[in-house]
Amino acid sequence: MNLRIIGALISKDFALFFRNRFFALVTVLGIVAYTIVYFVMPSSVDESLKIGLYAPVMPPVFEQLQEEGLEIEVVESDEALREAVTEGQYMAGVALPADIMEKLLLGQKTQITLYFASDTPEEIKDAVGVVIRELAYLQIGQPLAIEVSEEILGPDMIGMQIPPRDRLRPLFAIFIIMTETLGLATLISEEVEQRTIQALLVTPMRVKELFAAKGTIGVGLAFGQAVLFMAIVGGISSQPLIILTALLLGAVLATATAFLIASVAKDLMSVTAWSIPVLIILIIPSIGILLPGTLTGWVEVIPSYYLVDTVHQAANFGAGWGDVWRNLLVLLGFNLAIVWIGVIALRRKFR
Amino acid sequence: MAHDAIVAEELAYWYGELVAVDHISFRVAEGEILGFLGPNGAGKTTTVKMLTGLLRPKAGKALLLGMDVTKNTKKVHEKIGVCFEDTNLYEQLSAVENLRLFARLFGRSRFNANALLKAVGLEGREKDKVEAYSKGMKRRLMVARSLVNRPEVLFLDEPTAGLDPTSAESIRSIILKVRDRGATILLATHDMMEADKLSDRIAFMNQGKIVALDTPHNLKQQYGKRSLKAKVSTQSGELEDREIPLDTQETPNAISELFAQEKVVTVHSEEASLEDIFIRITGRGLVE
Repeated sequence: MNLRIIGALISKDFALFFRNRFFALVTVLGIVAYTIVYFVMPSSVDESLKIGLYAPVMPPVFEQLQEEGLEIEVVESDEALREAVTEGQYMAGVALPADIMEKLLLGQKTQITLYFASDTPEEIKDAVGVVIRELAYLQIGQPLAIEVSEEILGPDMIGMQIPPRDRLRPLFAIFIIMTETLGLATLISEEVEQRTIQALLVTPMRVKELFAAKGTIGVGLAFGQAVLFMAIVGGISSQPLIILTALLLGAVLATATAFLIASVAKDLMSVTAWSIPVLIILIIPSIGILLPGTLTGWVEVIPSYYLVDTVHQAANFGAGWGDVWRNLLVLLGFNLAIVWIGVIALRRKFR
Repeated sequence: MAHDAIVAEELAYWYGELVAVDHISFRVAEGEILGFLGPNGAGKTTTVKMLTGLLRPKAGKALLLGMDVTKNTKKVHEKIGVCFEDTNLYEQLSAVENLRLFARLFGRSRFNANALLKAVGLEGREKDKVEAYSKGMKRRLMVARSLVNRPEVLFLDEPTAGLDPTSAESIRSIILKVRDRGATILLATHDMMEADKLSDRIAFMNQGKIVALDTPHNLKQQYGKRSLKAKVSTQSGELEDREIPLDTQETPNAISELFAQEKVVTVHSEEASLEDIFIRITGRGLVE
């Protein structure tokens, strides 16, 4: 490997990348936009359940409702409660009848009305219903003949739920890394399309030096931007070495993917056409972090899952090497395979 | 005696069923310009690609400066310059940046890009992006790029194709200067005038084969028909053409009789052009 030749090729590609207005703009705007969105998103999670209560007569047990996670506000009338729930001031409204205490004491059935907005999730409706039934049992002195104990599996996140913006960090990081796939694939396919590759191939440069240069510029741009973004949004304050390692492997994944795309694409249009479905697939694992429970085990066949999961675990839960080594190893394996296939495919195209 | 800078021995290449180059052999001496003349698709570019290591020959051997091209590709590349038929410059870079990139690839640390650009007539536009250049300027820059490493062997593939006469002439003068400093040049072209002007020898290529190889003079001697053409004034005052074949036993008498018996108005000798010769050899024209 001749470092002088690799250096010359890297400076050339760096200049060409930033002279392409589209990529220069996308690169700068990407980091700026993702950073702005990050800081605009809520930095904390409101874990309380706000409930409106209309009670002409307040049963004593209902006065004890201000428990952990349940915020009760008393409103003046049934009409005012309905209005407030409709406007979204409360997740739910509870309307007690005026004769509630008399009927409870007589052991008669009474009617408690729960109000919900039309878009209230079913689980909130169920939860509020359960709470009210339990309170009713408590009020009449007949607590349920069961004892419920809670056991949190994994870190107990009560009171410290991950804010939405921190859930977005891995998503943005992978967006930034994968955008470079498009840039590098375009640089390579233009080299072939404009036949500048032929001019390079009749110099003392060897093809492996060309790959080294393309690989370095691809990994450098993707890794540099991702690290810059993560540093700005505080994403590497926890477990920085693990996160940097994951981002570096992610940048290699983006570069290898670019090699593959460039080997089948002919110009900017076909690079874009190939890149979009590939990027969508690679971004899917981030959705699982944004919306927990939406993805199943199949997502583990996507290489970027191991990048996203590692960044998420390390940045948001402080996971250590012992927790993420398997992820990093699998990601490395995927990288080696994709780099190998990409280099072989591109070599054929250079001829 | 000059050594051979380029040796092609039974070189062949085919794309599937199509035979592009059909076992051709030739030698080019150091300091010589060999014109490769033939129509599009004759196999000139494929031959250049094999000689420059861009294509591995399917059969035969290519030697440059005594080195086997396929075995010593990197060493060969250090000694050659190639100007491709298609313009393949980095259009987003300036002319200086294009040349400096290639100078770095060739390890020429003390390279003076501006001097080379001046030599090809691009002074004053050195820092402009190449995308803003005219076709003629791009071709000049292509030639300049092929000279960055002061090559011992220079391959020029249609260097003046599509250029205006002034730009074409300027490139031809550069080619001659390069030859004057001792470089060997293989000039692939279908421009017979250019080949005639620049080449020490000419190889006619047709359908992958070399069908004739000699100096322009010898080719014309061997295949051409020389004649003397005259216009004479008749008794009625009208002009008539007379043609006397040269190089025959009757030629001296015929010329004497022409001047003795007729009133000659104009007279000139006529040589066969390379294109005439090519058509005579192959039965097809150079431009198709």
